[in-house]
Order: sequence, then structure tokens, then C-alpha cells
Amino acid sequence: MSSGKQVIHLHIPSELGFEKVAMGAARSVAQKMGFSNDRILDLQTAIAEACTNAIEHGNRLNSAQRVEVVMTVEENALAVDVHDRGRDAQFTEPQIYDHHNHRGMGMYIIKQLVDEVQWSAQPQGGQVRMVIYLEPDAGDSTSPRPQGESGL
Amino acid sequence: MAQELKVGVRHSAAVTVLDLHGDVTMFAESELTRAYHQAIDDGARALVLNFAGTDYINSAGIAIIISLLTEARTGAVTLVICGLSTHYQKIFRMVGLTQYAEVYDTEDLAVQELKNRGIGESAPV
Repeated sequence: MSSGKQVIHLHIPSELGFEKVAMGAARSVAQKMGFSNDRILDLQTAIAEACTNAIEHGNRLNSAQRVEVVMTVEENALAVDVHDRGRDAQFTEPQIYDHHNHRGMGMYIIKQLVDEVQWSAQPQGGQVRMVIYLEPDAGDSTSPRPQGESGL
Repeated sequence: MAQELKVGVRHSAAVTVLDLHGDVTMFAESELTRAYHQAIDDGARALVLNFAGTDYINSAGIAIIISLLTEARTGAVTLVICGLSTHYQKIFRMVGLTQYAEVYDTEDLAVQELKNRGIGESAPV
């Protein structure tokens, strides 16, 4: 992959199941960048949760609205932004995962799987930004990633 | 786009195996519940949830699995899990699902463990 920042835009329908398109695209990009298969699986799962949340809760399954997925390829990192058009997005921090009623599980999973994550409410809708970093010397690991607090 | 879940019910030794094929998402609830209750109605008291035919599980699907495991526990039914990829085993541990059910790499290991413990011997064969 050539040096310098490259940006890939995807627009998927607000219909459950189309998150797989974003997962597939992310796999292609991350593979090309040299991420290990374990890291790619982590990223795909995080993207699936973010897109599902955007489809269901952001765009409220309104097929007239799209979820935008922006992948930014940097020298040592892949950033993925997922945007919805939910005007009433209010959260800026993920809910605390409650093991008893399972609310917030998707956000909890995202936090565990990527290196950095940030949720924000933009004027045009909700956004989540996820970043994973290339670790050239790191092999595949089945351990959860360290909790990724946003430094963005 | 989504691959609808189908659940097959079969018997292996004295244990009932539910074979999951397709995506485990919010759309999986009715099919999973149907298969579980079919097995219970047939007298099964030891079940294996076999995920070998599944390559996409999301948080909504995990919540459904946890509900099923909770129902099994309430009904004194032993329900164990097998066939998960390493990635989804990690996810299941991460969200605490392994507090509700034991996870085995393969169906053979799951069935053998249940047999060793004498569980499921009254199940249909």
C-alpha cells in the first residue's frame, strides 16, 4: 500500500445485515496494510457493532438514510469512522456494560477490541471513531486488547 | 445480506445437539427458541449448542444466547457450547457468557464431558 494517507468511503443502507459490507471492506484494507488475522477479526467485530448501532439506534432502520463508513489508512494505523444521521444522538461516552441486563454490550465489545475509540454527537448525527495500530513485531494474540481510551 | 439462522436438532449418544447454521443476530431468536423448546419437549435435559456452522455473531445474538442459557439453568437443563472459533471464544469470555455455560472446542469434547458426568442419560436417542 502506498505511503501517505488514503481514505475510503462506504455508504451502506440502514438495513441490518449490510454491516457485513463494511466488515468485508475493512478486512481487505487491513489485510493490505499487514494486520494479523486476529486484529482483523477484532476490527471487523468492532465495525459490525458500530454499524449495527448506527443502523438501529442512529438511523432507526430508516432505509432512506445511509450509514457512512470512512476508513483512513495511515502509515501505522487504520482509523474507521462510522456516521449515522440520528439527530438526537446525545451520548459522548459508552454506557457501562451491565452484565445483568446486557445493555451496552456492543459498545463494551468495541472498547475491548480496538486501540482507541471515541463516540461523539455531531450536528448531523452520531459518530464513532475507532483506531487500530500496526504492531510489526506482535504476533497473533487471543487476549483482549487493552482498554482503548481515546487520545483523539 | 444477512444469512438467516437455521438450527438443526439431532442426538449424539444421550445428548441433544443443536446445530446452528447462519448468523447469530437479533433475527436468530425465534429459530433458536423453537429448536430449544423442540428439544426440551422431546425430553432432552442435556444440550450442546454447536456453533461450527456460524461465522457471524453479534451482541444482539449473544444476548439471545444468554437468555437461552438462563432459561436452561432455571429449568435444570444442562446446556454447553462448542464449535466456536478462537475469536468468538474470546468475545464470549469478554462479555461474561462463560459464566453461564461451559465452552468446548469440539462437539466430541462437549458430548464426552457430558457423558463422563452422567448428564443426559435420560435424553432421547
